[in-house]
Amino acid sequence: MPATAIGRTERLIPPAPSYRRRARRALRRQLLPFLLLLPALVLVGGVLGYPIGQLVATSFQQLGLFELIGHRVVWNGLTNYRTVFASSQFLDSLEQTALFVLATVGLTMLIGTGVALLMGRLGKILRTVVSVAMLLAWAMPSSAASIVWSWMFETEYGVVNYIAVSLGLHGFNNHDWFASALSAYSVVTAMIVWQAIPFVALSLYAALTLVPQELFEAAAIDGASPATIFRRVTFPLVRPIFVLLTVLSVIWDGNVFNQVWYLTAGRAQVINVIPLGVWQYIEAFSSQQYGLGAAVAVVTVVVLLLVTGYYIRIMVRMGETRA
Amino acid sequence: MTATMAGSHSARQRRLNWVWRAVALVFVAIILFPVYWMVNSSFEPQGQILSLTPSFFPVHFTFHNFVDATGRPFFLVDLRNSLIVVVSTVCVVLVVAFLAATAVTRFRLRGAKLFLVLVLVVQMVPTTALVIPLFLILDKARLLNSFQGLILTYVTLTLPFTIWALRGFVRAVPMDLEEAALVDGCSRLGAFRRILLPLVLPGLITTGVFSFITAWNDFLYANVIMQQQDRWTLSVWMFGFQTNTGTDYGGLMAASTIFALPVVIFFLLVQRRIVSGLTAGAVKG
Repeated sequence: MPATAIGRTERLIPPAPSYRRRARRALRRQLLPFLLLLPALVLVGGVLGYPIGQLVATSFQQLGLFELIGHRVVWNGLTNYRTVFASSQFLDSLEQTALFVLATVGLTMLIGTGVALLMGRLGKILRTVVSVAMLLAWAMPSSAASIVWSWMFETEYGVVNYIAVSLGLHGFNNHDWFASALSAYSVVTAMIVWQAIPFVALSLYAALTLVPQELFEAAAIDGASPATIFRRVTFPLVRPIFVLLTVLSVIWDGNVFNQVWYLTAGRAQVINVIPLGVWQYIEAFSSQQYGLGAAVAVVTVVVLLLVTGYYIRIMVRMGETRA
Repeated sequence: MTATMAGSHSARQRRLNWVWRAVALVFVAIILFPVYWMVNSSFEPQGQILSLTPSFFPVHFTFHNFVDATGRPFFLVDLRNSLIVVVSTVCVVLVVAFLAATAVTRFRLRGAKLFLVLVLVVQMVPTTALVIPLFLILDKARLLNSFQGLILTYVTLTLPFTIWALRGFVRAVPMDLEEAALVDGCSRLGAFRRILLPLVLPGLITTGVFSFITAWNDFLYANVIMQQQDRWTLSVWMFGFQTNTGTDYGGLMAASTIFALPVVIFFLLVQRRIVSGLTAGAVKG
């Protein structure tokens, strides 16, 4: 009986296609998705492939103004990398970047999550007010934001000092926020966090609204404290989007340049406390050591990859199980 | 007994609700303050701005700063340039990213994972380090000072994020829906257009906003690629404004307000869609 059943199914299956036909079919199956991916591939590879290749090549060259003008290519092996690792600036910048990313990403995710949770506890009107306020802040272009923030923290006429003095903090009369590295970076951090919160809070709130309400109620009936509910029920459900937002924030803030540059207007350079992104820019453009600057850039990518690699793997895998 | 417990519980709950409302209002005040301050300063006359007691309302209300800013050379030309470049960028990047996102989620494509990781690695390269090589390659392709060159640059720079975000949105649409359409005699293209596209629309709008803001904001690349003043974008115009005017904060704030305005308008137009779009994207779980 089992034998005949097997025999029947065998007859139902069409004869195995030849190797060549199978290969052709596999190729055709790959062709459509490949064609869909092609424009993105061509753009990223074509427009960024060469510059990135060039950047890596430059990091192995001695390339200053002299070589640039004379169109001379002088390979110097690992010299740039040796200089980077031997430089005291490297560890300083690495530390500065790590602290900076920790502060900005930590605060962004913490406040962003808090606001997302808060939005769930508000009535409809107030929730709309919060959303629109965040959209307005988010819509403000970062270059405009840099100008406004430096104006707000201006020493003599800045409104922040004015408010502080009005509140009785007379020490803030003509207080220079950019006099010390810690204070200057606190302002930069505040601005970046301010800019990043809307995106994070709105994304997380959207994710939270999709969590079935019954789950919270069930947990509450079981006597779980709000903290436990958050840790055991809420957070695991929004974890994927939380991871994506964190990884992107680490990448963006780890390369921070614009905000530091415009807000401190070169003053950070004087105090010599600069994150990797700014150090790279100074080596390449101010000191015109393009090779050294390129090496710093490559090291930055490797550092960011080491920090985020584990989570990127998780993110890629998440796609697999769901698709 | 239970009644009083419930009573005290709801009283506590009500008190707590007031706390949340207060926290929300403080948060709104803080998050809106820079925006408010920018607009407030832009309506103040120069003499009023540089006063030791800043006023929180434009008492000496004036449009002078706006008239002055918009009257500067090339304002309208640069505004037009920005709109051309940014709108084209958004359109191109959405099509390309949508196709790519479909390719990596709807098919078993070999190397798709590698592609996604590589695209993130590209994001990690400091943009300041890419400016010079990009300038050289655009020079070779004779694309300097051209809209195409800048559009190409922005499309490429915003692609990584858009692909990753859209991947989540596309994945959120159940594949059964498309399969059902195929069974019902829809062509592959028809299923794509009738089922997937409308359902992913909120996602397209949300990611469109990201690329809009990125391209609108950029100064670094526009400054290097567009060297003729009649090809400048508004961000380059604004920085020219900044260096020319020194401490004219009123003018600067007016320029910043004008600069921010198109983004705000775009935002308000698609605002409802954004929130629902983010919701759809979050399903990606």
